[in-house]
Parts: sequence; structure tokens; C-alpha cells
Amino acid sequence: MKRKGLALITAISIASALLWIIGLGAVIQNQWFRPSTTKLAQTPTQQGSTQHKSAVVIAAIGDSLTRGTGDVDGKGYIGSVKEQLQKKTKKQIWLSNAGIKGQTSSQLLQQLNQPQIQRGIKEADIILMTIGGNDLFRGGRALQELQSQSIKKVEQRYISNLKKIYKKIRTVNNTADVYHIGLYDPFSDLRQAKATSHIVRQWNFDSAELAASFDRIVYVPTFDLFQLSVNDYLYSDHFHPNRKGYQLIGERAASLIHFSEEEKK
Amino acid sequence: MTKLVHNELLKLFRKKKLFVALLIVAILVPMFTYAQYEQSKATISKTGNTDWRARLQQEIVDTTNRLGSSGIQGDYKKFLKIRLSQQQYYLDHNIDPKAPGAPTFMRIFLENAIDLLLPLLIMIVASDLVSSELSGGTIKLLLTRPVKRWKILLSKYIALLLSVSFIVTGTAILTYVLSGIVFGYSGWQLPMLTGFSTQGEELITQNVHLIPQWHYLFMELGLVWFVCLIVGTLTFMLSVLLRSTAAVMGIMLASLISGAILANMVSSWESAKYLFMVNLKLTSYISGMSPPIEGMSLGFSMSVLTIWAFVALVLSFIVFTKRDVY
Repeated sequence: MKRKGLALITAISIASALLWIIGLGAVIQNQWFRPSTTKLAQTPTQQGSTQHKSAVVIAAIGDSLTRGTGDVDGKGYIGSVKEQLQKKTKKQIWLSNAGIKGQTSSQLLQQLNQPQIQRGIKEADIILMTIGGNDLFRGGRALQELQSQSIKKVEQRYISNLKKIYKKIRTVNNTADVYHIGLYDPFSDLRQAKATSHIVRQWNFDSAELAASFDRIVYVPTFDLFQLSVNDYLYSDHFHPNRKGYQLIGERAASLIHFSEEEKK
Repeated sequence: MTKLVHNELLKLFRKKKLFVALLIVAILVPMFTYAQYEQSKATISKTGNTDWRARLQQEIVDTTNRLGSSGIQGDYKKFLKIRLSQQQYYLDHNIDPKAPGAPTFMRIFLENAIDLLLPLLIMIVASDLVSSELSGGTIKLLLTRPVKRWKILLSKYIALLLSVSFIVTGTAILTYVLSGIVFGYSGWQLPMLTGFSTQGEELITQNVHLIPQWHYLFMELGLVWFVCLIVGTLTFMLSVLLRSTAAVMGIMLASLISGAILANMVSSWESAKYLFMVNLKLTSYISGMSPPIEGMSLGFSMSVLTIWAFVALVLSFIVFTKRDVY
């Protein structure tokens, strides 16, 4: 018995030694001596079935606020929205978060061109979006120069990008409700508060005007939430909201979302 | 000569070394399988989506976010950038790099086991090939036979080579069979991309081509075998040089683990690329990961490893034939 076992193992060992030498040869052949004519064949697209009739699909796009920067739990306002909504409906809520820190409106526009992001948006029932903060504040480096001239230029570019973003979203998905979360003024307790808050208000106003010209796009104000006690709701970087701040934003956004079908039942 | 080899194999067989090595794999694989299974379940519940495209997109977004944070170092950033363009490439060409199935699990397992786990298994077999005979005194019985010393050593080395091959094959079969219970046994034809090369931060896709997964796995196993053989040879040398098996084990263990640690921090110490232990992760070259030190390539790593093994082999034969045994 033992003798046979040993013979078997020896045979397997010899065979496998030869096999792996060939394998090694395959590596060398494949990596260095490959005929350069082989082209990348496109594999047939098999569409994954992603019909979620029984679930509410939320797609979140945008910048660090969508990502949840500053929230110790990492949930961001998206997390609060989800929690709030879960109380309202028995359906499952599925969330895809494509927020990227530091994203500006032009970067978001680029991101929206990616087929996968488009798929996500197409399937969504609700789209949440934060954008513009990085255009205006340039990553928290404050409004160094408050010259209205340069700010105006920045805003014009932002508004034209935003228009394209809205259009893109509407062409991909014209049934979902879009909630664009507005800007707050993180500097409202600083010396130049008057100037900065004026700019932010103007910015919000123009965005809201633009949103109003589209179907089912809601511009959600957050300016007032932070107006009086901004420090209580900001993270230590003095720019992003903290847990409480996100909670506020989330509650406001969630209060706007209703499930009409659910109520009829 | 064949009788000598047979004799050596008999010793290994009696000591149940191969059995132990495979038993370890057989215990670990179900653990990894379960972990992988749980992970895929977690991602599905997180994104609420069984579609791999959505999952891959989520990964891309996550990677982009990590790139954006200021806390990460330059080298890691480079790694992430390469990963990012690779993920994007997979997505653009509609290829799921993680399609579930036993072959995919096998591939991921091999990629992670090549630089530490499998070399450790080889060490079990190789570490006391000669040293135990030295410390146990049986070497005298062996050497008093009318056989040249180099022949004895060669027979031991061939026995080692065969057991290495056996362990690699055994591991491959075990991972396939055990993980297939959960993931299913299909997936051999899944297209895989290979031929990525990196230059600085750029991922060069010029040479990229598609091969079926079985071919990819075959290549990976070839590399695994190569690495195991190198580690086996080095352990073999130590086993000739040192009397104590514990010392052999200790040195090999230390250098293998230090290799895993070094790979994460040597990127600015360039000459470290001539150490054998940072070169062990050969599979990352064919999957297109960025090497730990700039300028390393598959050819470079294989040459470094071959030189180390060659020197080790020459050294062990010289020492073994010249040494006084008393």
C-alpha cells in the first residue's frame, strides 16, 4: 500500500514538474514573444438584469458632501437621507454613491459621460446631488480675493456647466426626481461674512433659477440651516459639515421626498 | 541515481511532510472561500446590485476618492492611479475581473499566496532535508555508501524539486475543488487581460491582450512553481550550511516575512530590488500591478531569483562535498 502510494505521488510529481515547466514557458512566450497582431476582441455584452421593482434606488453624485467628508461615521447626508426614508417606506432602499472629493462642476460633467455612471442614473428613482462648493471655494482655500469680477467669471462657468449637467441627467433619466443640495456659507462667522454670504446667496439663487427651468429638479436650500450657528455644525476643517450638520441636511432633503404609491396603499 | 531519489522520496513520504503541507492548504482554502463569499455578499447588500459593472464603478469611485485625500503617500498614490486606469480599462472592455467561480478564486488565491504562504509550505519540506541528517547523525550512514557525495546531494535536490511540483499541483487541485463547492466550477473561459506594463505612473496598455482564464492560470501556476523552486533552493542551501533545522526555519521565515514588509516600504531604497524576497510576487507583473520598486519587471525579477538560486545551489554543492563529517 505504502509502496503504491509513493509510486503514485512520484508519478504525479514528475508529471506536474513537467507541466509547470511548460507553464513557465507559457509565461515567457506570452509576455515576450507574442505575435503582435492579436487584437483585443470585444466580448459580447451581457446585460445584467437590474430590475428592482421592489426597491427604491437612489443615485448620489457630486463632491465631498456626497462622500461624507467630515462625518465621523462616514455616512454623510446621504446616510441620513437613507435612514429617514427607511422610516417612511417598507421597500428596500438601494444606494449608489459616486461622489468624489473635491469634484468641481466640470469634473462632474466629465464623470457623467462614463457609461457606468449613466447606468446608475438611469436606474435611479431619486437622484441626490451636491456640486458647486469646490467651484466657489476652491477646496476650502477661502474666498481670498473677493473681487466680484473674478467671482462672476467663476460663477458663469459653473452655471453653464450646471446647465449641461441638468440636461445630461434629464436625457439619461427623465422620470427620476433630482434633488440638488444647495450651498451654505461656511465662513459666515468670519469678518468678511457679509461679502461671502452675499456671494453664496447669489450663487444659490442663480442655481435655483436654473433648476426651476427643468422638470422635476428641486434645488434644496441649506443656507438657512447653517446661518446662525455655523460653528456647531462644521467639522474641524471649518469647511465641511460635521455629523450634526449632515444630519440637518439629510433631514431637510428627506422631508422633501415622498413615496406616492406607498401612501395610496 | 533513481534509487537514491526514490530513497529520498521515501524519507519525505515517511515523515508525512507533503501530507502536512497539503493539509494546511485544505484547512486554509475553506476559510478564504468563506471570506470571499461574505465579501461578495457585503458588496451586494451595499450597492443593492448584483451587476458587476455597478460594483466595479463603485470601486473606481472609491479609488478616486482615496486618491483625492491628502493623507496618502506618493508611492501608494502611484499604485492607486495604476489600479484606477486598470479598472477603467476592464470596465471599458466589458470584462469582469472578479466573475465568481472556482477558477477566479484560484487565481486570486494564487496571487496572494505566491509571496508568503506557498513559500512557507515549501519550507516545511526543504528545511530539514540535509540538516536533520547532520544533527541526527544519519548522514554518516548515507556517506559511507560507495556513492559520490554530489550524487547524494543531487538526489536530495531532485526529491525536493519533485515535492515542490507536487505541492503546487496539490494546492491547485485543492483550491479548485474546495472553492468550487461554493462558487461553482465554471469560469475557465473567462477572458483575462494581461500584458500591462507600467512606466512611472502610467499604465501602458499597448501590449495588452486577452487570454482565457485557464491559460492565465496556467501561466500563474508556472510562476508559482518557479518561485517555490527558488525558495526551496535557498532553503536547501541553508539546510546544507546549518546543522540546526530550527535555524534554517528561522532564517527563511525572517527573510520571507521581511520581504513582505519591505515590499511596502522600499520604494525609495532602490538597491533593495536585488534582494530575492522583494521579487517573489511575480504574478503581479502579469496582472499589471505596479512593482514595489520602479524599474522592476518580470524579466528582471526572474533573473534576480535565478541568480540567487544558482549561487545557492553552487554553494551547497561545494560545501557538501568539501565538508568534514565526524
